[in-house]
Amino acid sequence: MNRSGTSGEAFHRGVLVRRGLALLAGAVFVYAGILKVRDPLQFALDVNNYHLVSWPIGVRLAFYLPWLEILAGLALIFYRAFSGALAITGALMLGFIGATIWAEAQGINVDCGCFGAAGSNLSFSWHLVLNLSILLVLLFLWFTRAKPDEITPARAASA
Amino acid sequence: MHSSVVRQILLLLGLAFLPAIGQAVYYRNAATWSAPPVDSALVTLSETKGWGDAVLWVDARPEEEFARAHVPGALLLNEDDWDARLRTLLTAWAPERKLVVYCSAKSCSASHAVAERLRHEAGLENVYVLEGGWEEWKGRNP
Repeated sequence: MNRSGTSGEAFHRGVLVRRGLALLAGAVFVYAGILKVRDPLQFALDVNNYHLVSWPIGVRLAFYLPWLEILAGLALIFYRAFSGALAITGALMLGFIGATIWAEAQGINVDCGCFGAAGSNLSFSWHLVLNLSILLVLLFLWFTRAKPDEITPARAASA
Repeated sequence: MHSSVVRQILLLLGLAFLPAIGQAVYYRNAATWSAPPVDSALVTLSETKGWGDAVLWVDARPEEEFARAHVPGALLLNEDDWDARLRTLLTAWAPERKLVVYCSAKSCSASHAVAERLRHEAGLENVYVLEGGWEEWKGRNP
């Protein structure tokens, strides 16, 4: 396939946009993970506030999830294990969104803990808007990602 | 799903265990693994009534919720503009006063976070968290 002229530029712009969005999404996950890693006991309390899992499970999740966020975020930033990182971060976002909606439906006033203390003053609506925006970016990256069987030498060279 | 994607997912899930286990070992004595920690600084509304005028209420909710309604005499203190609001709080504070921090409800944790910062960053003693938060206070003072 010969990509030159206008279509080549458009292709390059597309790659840049995707890389930029991956960098942004990855940075958000790394930032959120670092905030929680700094105080896992506070995050355990935040998880517990949702009343979704028992304390023994919640406290273990509080030690595990932030590192998963950081690793998956770094994978998005450095474009390594990219599809796997997208699947994990997408699943995490779906989980966060589901938990936030569930808590609101139950009338539980929670600090989501998504961004440590920095997010403790975000309202339910803002949490939802933020999480849905990130999920949309992840979905865009998932559906436009390069699949192994679609990469041709010509495409690789032009990228 | 493509098998390479599954491999990548398993790799990331597995790798995340390593630092998590390391951190859990580091926190093994600080964390309570079978039940939530008991907050010794948690006070009930009845207890605070016994303290009379010694209570200095601290509202840890967002500013707009504070503006709608708050405990009479309460001062706003949350993560926003912490330093300036802490200065205001300290002008009203005296060693014999008991700081009682509250947020929206029993399940919110902003009051715990603010109480923690008041104890460790501002070095204040007699800092408590109101059990049930604003909802509890409002329910008893309609």
